[in-house]
Amino acid sequence: MKSLALLPMLMLCCASLYAVEGSKDALPPGAAIEKDPRYPALVSYTLKNGLKLLILEKHFVPTVSFTMVFKVGNVDGTQGKTGLAHLMEHMAFKGTKTINSAGYDKEKTALDKVEKAAKALIAEESSSSPDAKKLEALRKAQAEAEKEADNFIVKDEYLNLYKSLGEHAMNAMTSTDYTGYVVSLPSSRLEAWMTIESDRFKNAVLREFYRERSVVMEERRMGEADPNRLMWETLTSNGFTAHPYHNPTIGWMDDLTRLTRTDAEQFFKTFYVPNNATLSVVGDVNPAEVIRLAEKYFGGWESKPLPDRTYTKEPPQKSEKIVNVFFKAKPAVRIGFHVPEVTNPDTYPLIMASEVLTNGKTGRFYKNLVEGKELALYAASGNSFPGNRYPSLFVIMSAPKAPHTVDELDSAIMEEIAGLKKVPPTQWELDKIINNYQAEMIKQLESNSGLGMNLAQNEEILGDWKYDWKTGDELRKVKPEDIIRVAEKYLTRDNRTVVFLREPLKKD
Amino acid sequence: MKKSTITGALLMTLFSAAAFALPPALPKIGGIDFKPPKGDRLVMDNGMVVYLMKDNTLPVVHMTAYIRTGKLNDPIEKIGLGEMTAGLLKDGGTLKYKPEEIDKTLEFLAASVESSMGIEEGRADLTTLSKDLDAVLDIYADVLMHPAFAEDKVKLRRDETLEMIRRRNDDPGRAVVREALRSFYGPAHPYGWRSEEATVNAVTIEDMKAYHANYYKPNNIILVAAGDFASNGEMMKKLEARFGAWPRGEVKFPVIPPVQIKGERQVFHIEKDISQAFIVMLQKGIKRFDPLEYPLTVTNEILGGGSGLSSRLAAEIRSRRGLAYTVYSYSAKKPDYGYTLAYLGTKPETYSQALSELLKQFKLITEVPAPADEVTRARDSIVNSFVFRFPTPFDLITERASYEYYGYKPDYLDNYVENIARTDSKAVLETAKKLFKPEEAMLFVIGNSKKFDKPLSEFGTVTELKED
Repeated sequence: MKSLALLPMLMLCCASLYAVEGSKDALPPGAAIEKDPRYPALVSYTLKNGLKLLILEKHFVPTVSFTMVFKVGNVDGTQGKTGLAHLMEHMAFKGTKTINSAGYDKEKTALDKVEKAAKALIAEESSSSPDAKKLEALRKAQAEAEKEADNFIVKDEYLNLYKSLGEHAMNAMTSTDYTGYVVSLPSSRLEAWMTIESDRFKNAVLREFYRERSVVMEERRMGEADPNRLMWETLTSNGFTAHPYHNPTIGWMDDLTRLTRTDAEQFFKTFYVPNNATLSVVGDVNPAEVIRLAEKYFGGWESKPLPDRTYTKEPPQKSEKIVNVFFKAKPAVRIGFHVPEVTNPDTYPLIMASEVLTNGKTGRFYKNLVEGKELALYAASGNSFPGNRYPSLFVIMSAPKAPHTVDELDSAIMEEIAGLKKVPPTQWELDKIINNYQAEMIKQLESNSGLGMNLAQNEEILGDWKYDWKTGDELRKVKPEDIIRVAEKYLTRDNRTVVFLREPLKKD
Repeated sequence: MKKSTITGALLMTLFSAAAFALPPALPKIGGIDFKPPKGDRLVMDNGMVVYLMKDNTLPVVHMTAYIRTGKLNDPIEKIGLGEMTAGLLKDGGTLKYKPEEIDKTLEFLAASVESSMGIEEGRADLTTLSKDLDAVLDIYADVLMHPAFAEDKVKLRRDETLEMIRRRNDDPGRAVVREALRSFYGPAHPYGWRSEEATVNAVTIEDMKAYHANYYKPNNIILVAAGDFASNGEMMKKLEARFGAWPRGEVKFPVIPPVQIKGERQVFHIEKDISQAFIVMLQKGIKRFDPLEYPLTVTNEILGGGSGLSSRLAAEIRSRRGLAYTVYSYSAKKPDYGYTLAYLGTKPETYSQALSELLKQFKLITEVPAPADEVTRARDSIVNSFVFRFPTPFDLITERASYEYYGYKPDYLDNYVENIARTDSKAVLETAKKLFKPEEAMLFVIGNSKKFDKPLSEFGTVTELKED
């Protein structure tokens, strides 16, 4: 691999720059600065309650990006309450006992009334023969209770605080594996962030719950109108039968109608604990100061034992599954093959296999399916979907160019898969992939928020913020025969689920 | 190897896009001390303007070029010409390099050269590790100056474009915005038009060569480079070596017909059995250099803008009533009249409630002065987040170049914050009164009318359209 000789030098030169930057305040005991020049000079520190801190200094502009990642996602929900992780994420913007509240004691009583009314309504709605008149009365009762609770709400105070502070890209995201909260601020707001967010995760109050639940139902409907989301949901719900990756992160609509504030509070108490979280802080900051403030504001956040996260293992798939979805959109295909969890060493040759297929216009998919046979509008693949915590899927996504059909396209894709088992990748193909991986690793250092999310997620979900760098080292070791071996082992017909999006059948 | 492309598909995010009291414990907040650096602006003898900013943070170089043209310069019978030309600059090969050679070289070096066509701007971007700058810059320069439009690549691109046209209604949330603008400006005006099978098929290789020969000239280009080079002088030498002999020449621009907007309520509907009704409301906006830009920006921040959920539309339609996940508004400036657009998606059974609230909020802001603290908050939001326009030196220098491209005064960026800070409650009210006339707004709805809670005709005379 001659071409790779240059790479360690490149990594060195970006890392050294971080090492000399920034202030020289002494770090407290327990804090470690990364000294290996292959990695950025990141400062890591763990609070006594288990909250992990990752701090990286970058000083071009006076801004800082915060990312708090909790190791809790839809996979940790229970059957019948799918979508709870995501709804909880929405609720974390509704304030605390002091933010968004005009007096929590009175508000609490009012909120309890709402909860009681909502539960009565859910019970009637879920009964075998709901009574229309009763439903109407119960709906009215809930609306009245909500109106009363409104008297104690300072609407959107949490959001308005951040607005005044000059937030940028404040958002949150939930996947099947994790929940993340992100915001960027001018760096002079460091302590303000610590103040607000420590309160948020210690003292969240889930007010306006049922309205937000309606918002999430609209989000679900939006997804139902989007063929792309529909296909992914169909792929995971059919690809997995026993493991909770089966469930869509947004939740099944029927479950959403029965989720309560009590459910969400329970979920919050169980999983939103410091020993289940990583905080990354990337930007114009002094690491010693970040640690000092984190100790001050997050130090009193209580850790708790976490529940066991062993879920039903997905049994081996023994037959090919084909699902036809009829929808008002042009045809497309999604394919998923079961693969092991990312800690399995087969992950590296699987990533390489995916890249041989999909990396650029010189990748095999583009060269043969988009150009060559001119069958596909696009064709791409990726390893490890929908998550990284449990065995997942190697996925392929593609759409045909008319007049070609999804069936022709599927055959051609499977020919490429067969090719992967027969025609070993050339050294050029492998070198190209490694070059691109390494370049991505350098370019990802450009964006504070993107880098912050990557670091926090890798630390919290995969146990090591250096995960991507180490993966790069592992990918270099992959040999052509490894790729052939994993292709033969995993990319087989009886291990795959195929979703065809087809235009609606003409009615007779 | 973008990690996020796949997982993004199932990631749920909080936003799709976009009496104030500090809690007692909130610490004192320091100021934001940042004056955006200027960078260098140089002009070559052939007229090419060059913006440079050295930044040795990472071993990477970024470049972009603004080419003064845009989709709006397409001939009406060949809509799609600009986009196809830009798309084929690299893909169709050059005099010096075969297409396959370009792909192999760039992809092996993990570099990219891409060109694209926006409504009002042509662009050509380059990203490379700095060690490969010379090799990649050679390709970039040849792509800009000497594209060859290889026949097989033209066919491939045309087929792709036609397939995209066939698929343009797959996502109703995107379709509704495009179709609303088309109805608003008229399908014959470049602000509203879309390419069709016939207009794409009408584009010949000769047309693309002529298009390139007319617009891609050094005196019609602003080039931007930032990143890991030894000095701005050294980078300029590299650019002179590649582009210095490119002769200047006259550029012919077509005359764009004036915008004509009906100042009366019109309602358009496309019947489609989907889980949400997608609604767009459009009103006449401002021309690019109208000083109303500043109060309008603040007004929009209050009403439906910003990145978050604290706008009035989001608060009332989403947070208080749970009627929508996505709801926002923004204003777009154009050389001729731009527009203010409001968007929402809601279940068909509640569409009229959401739409009525949307109209009500636009009316309200024209009638009742916004409370001073709300205006202050909106202003603070824009001023305090201003620094995020420049996360990297490349973003900063590109932003500066874009203002020259769009004809702003050289101090536009440096005075922006001050101009925003001047906006008060009165200015918001006056701007809203002048620009918002919800009773005359155009409404465009895609959705299942059988499930509508009220007939759409209650909002005005409905023109039924077919999805095509």
